[in-house]
Amino acid sequence: MPREIAIQGVLVPGLLPIFLGCLLLMVLVDLLIGRYGLYRYVWHPPLFRLALFACLFGLAGLLFLH
Amino acid sequence: MSVASMKTGRAARRWPVLAEASAGEGRAWLFVFKTLLALYLAAWLAMWLRLEQPATAMITVGIVMHPHSGMVQAKSFYRAIGTLCGSAFGLALLCVFPQQRVLFLLCMSLWVGLCAGGATLYRNFMAYGFVLAGYTAAIVALPAIGNPLGVFDSALMRVSEVMLGLLVAGVVSELVFPERLRLVLRQEARAHFAHFIDFVRGSTGGSIPRAEMEQAHLRFVRAAVQLENQRASVIFEDPEIRARSTRMRLLNQHNMAAATSFQSLHHLINRLQRERRDAEVAALIALYRPIGAALTTAPDELHDPAVLAPRLRECALGLPAREAELRAGLAPGRAQLAFDTGATVLKRFLDELCGYVEVELALRGRVQHGAVERVHFRRANDATGAMVAVLRTFLTMATLSAFWIASGWAFGVSAMLLATVFSGLLAAMPNPLASAFNMLAGYALGMLAGLFTAYVLLPGSDGFPMLVAATLPLLLIGPWLNAHPEFGNIGGGYAIGIVYILALKNPMVYDPAHAFNDAIAQLAGVALAAVSFVFVPRVTGSGWLRRRQFRRLREQVVEAASAPLDGLPWRFESESRDLFHQAIVHTRPGSRESRALLAWALAVHESGRALIELRQQLRAGRYPVEVREAVDRAVQAVARMYRRPDATQRQQAEGLARAAIEACAAAPALRPHLYQLLGALRDDESPLAGWMPAGEPARAT
Repeated sequence: MPREIAIQGVLVPGLLPIFLGCLLLMVLVDLLIGRYGLYRYVWHPPLFRLALFACLFGLAGLLFLH
Repeated sequence: MSVASMKTGRAARRWPVLAEASAGEGRAWLFVFKTLLALYLAAWLAMWLRLEQPATAMITVGIVMHPHSGMVQAKSFYRAIGTLCGSAFGLALLCVFPQQRVLFLLCMSLWVGLCAGGATLYRNFMAYGFVLAGYTAAIVALPAIGNPLGVFDSALMRVSEVMLGLLVAGVVSELVFPERLRLVLRQEARAHFAHFIDFVRGSTGGSIPRAEMEQAHLRFVRAAVQLENQRASVIFEDPEIRARSTRMRLLNQHNMAAATSFQSLHHLINRLQRERRDAEVAALIALYRPIGAALTTAPDELHDPAVLAPRLRECALGLPAREAELRAGLAPGRAQLAFDTGATVLKRFLDELCGYVEVELALRGRVQHGAVERVHFRRANDATGAMVAVLRTFLTMATLSAFWIASGWAFGVSAMLLATVFSGLLAAMPNPLASAFNMLAGYALGMLAGLFTAYVLLPGSDGFPMLVAATLPLLLIGPWLNAHPEFGNIGGGYAIGIVYILALKNPMVYDPAHAFNDAIAQLAGVALAAVSFVFVPRVTGSGWLRRRQFRRLREQVVEAASAPLDGLPWRFESESRDLFHQAIVHTRPGSRESRALLAWALAVHESGRALIELRQQLRAGRYPVEVREAVDRAVQAVARMYRRPDATQRQQAEGLARAAIEACAAAPALRPHLYQLLGALRDDESPLAGWMPAGEPARAT
């Protein structure tokens, strides 16, 4: 995947679509976890969600851009 | 327990005031800590990312950090949308009118006005989105006006800075000692459930005085509207609530429907009691008693839906047999008709109560299975308040623009920018006029503090830790004031003022002449935004708007009589409650106006609901044309009466309702609803009583 993508002549970092994709994925994961009430096994849900998102985004970024 | 905590415990018991104050102060300092953390983090990140103006990120943090920060994500969501819309609009505006300052400023003023109007229209966190849409458009487009070629880069920078500020504010308030609103919501929902069940159980005796019913109604409406407000915010912060969202809506709707049916039943029983028709009253109370018995369980299970749901279902199964038995004991004709009416309403109520308890039971389960019916809580927004806000903000901005153009003021940008921010913020406040002048004072103080920091404390410092050390003492006053509601909105003005005039940059630029000119322009902007509230006052909460809402509340019955039937029951229940709630919060409890509003709300609920049930019955069954026509005439007459209530309309509606009951002799399913309507028209405790012919005995139903 290219490092930068041109949208109508505007250069956008290639990480942006990955970021948006991860956001979407995160919403789905959130829905799933919320439906089965799994967050009650986590000490600090917001921290867990942020960490999970960081993991997802880092992983996807490394996979696609490395 | 340690000695120290025992000591404080004892002290707390001895001086409850002290304990309360220290608890409040603790929360205030936590908020100060969070705000400062977010401010410095935003500044550091902005400098690290080499953004042009770290101050923009800091101001954004100042605007969005708020002590009621339970619902960070709801705010962030709307804010992000607002920012994107605003920046897109700002860019488009610059592209369309790069050299047309009059048109440019006119469009800009209109946009900011529309955003302020939107902020008043939506009372929840959507308001933030509108505030930011106006702010971002201004901050993207205005500074670039002198240099149209660099507009894209400048816009990109501003959007990045604003987004960074939003992100930091969101993450900090979400991660650092977050206030979990979910717990509050759950607690309130359970308390409401318990109240409602207690109220239903407590009235097994049969009659409730109208005054008590009014108070209960007020309580239930408040709870219904609040639960919906909280639900709409909490779904953003909590995935578990999000998974339960549809069910919670359904729960609220079942509750509202059950409350209306319950009231209708008691209005009927009260009326019969006043007419001394003791046989019917006794029969209806006997029919009602099993529900009270089903709700009376072991003391620790009184509010447990898992115990209540099967008991209520069992009770519902036994109802028809009991009804037939009791009905046989009454004289045919009038007595049986009154009893049938009561039984119909009671069955409806029991059905809705069962639904309510069962949904509550499902909600308390760990895992949410399957899908449920989607219902919506319809808001009854009034566009006039928003229109006034649009007009006011537009005038403010247009005045500033005209002055800017006419005087060739070099710092007009700052004035415009600040007017935008404060118009939006003020428009969403409950008491804007007082807030406006508090904010203005706060802003002036903040600027003085900022100038002192920037030109006395900062020049000697070197590096980020020193910058924090130099700015911290005066910066923390803002959030501290903000966390104390007794200071009004001084804190809000102070926090924005100090950050704005500090204008932290890397490397820092010191230019006293520029700073003082800027300060004067900013103050002018804030002042104009505040003064505009004197010239174009806010309509929300004014007597004019209350009378308007009152009329709209009555017209809910017209809606019930004429709107398409699909989804109408839900719409009617939520819209009429929302309207009532909006109007009643601005009246003094116990005042004549407040009592009139309550009385009308009860009448509207009873008649509206009866009309809807009647129309549904009419649609479901096969009836001869003359029956349909008679019923239709009665429905229209009732609607006319609620649109313009007076003695002749009421008389006419009553006559047509009687005629319809006569015409429905062969349609027993329709008669109870018509009888309910007729009773509501003749209720001598309802507000319609004033138009009843004097001297006529109340018992002529």
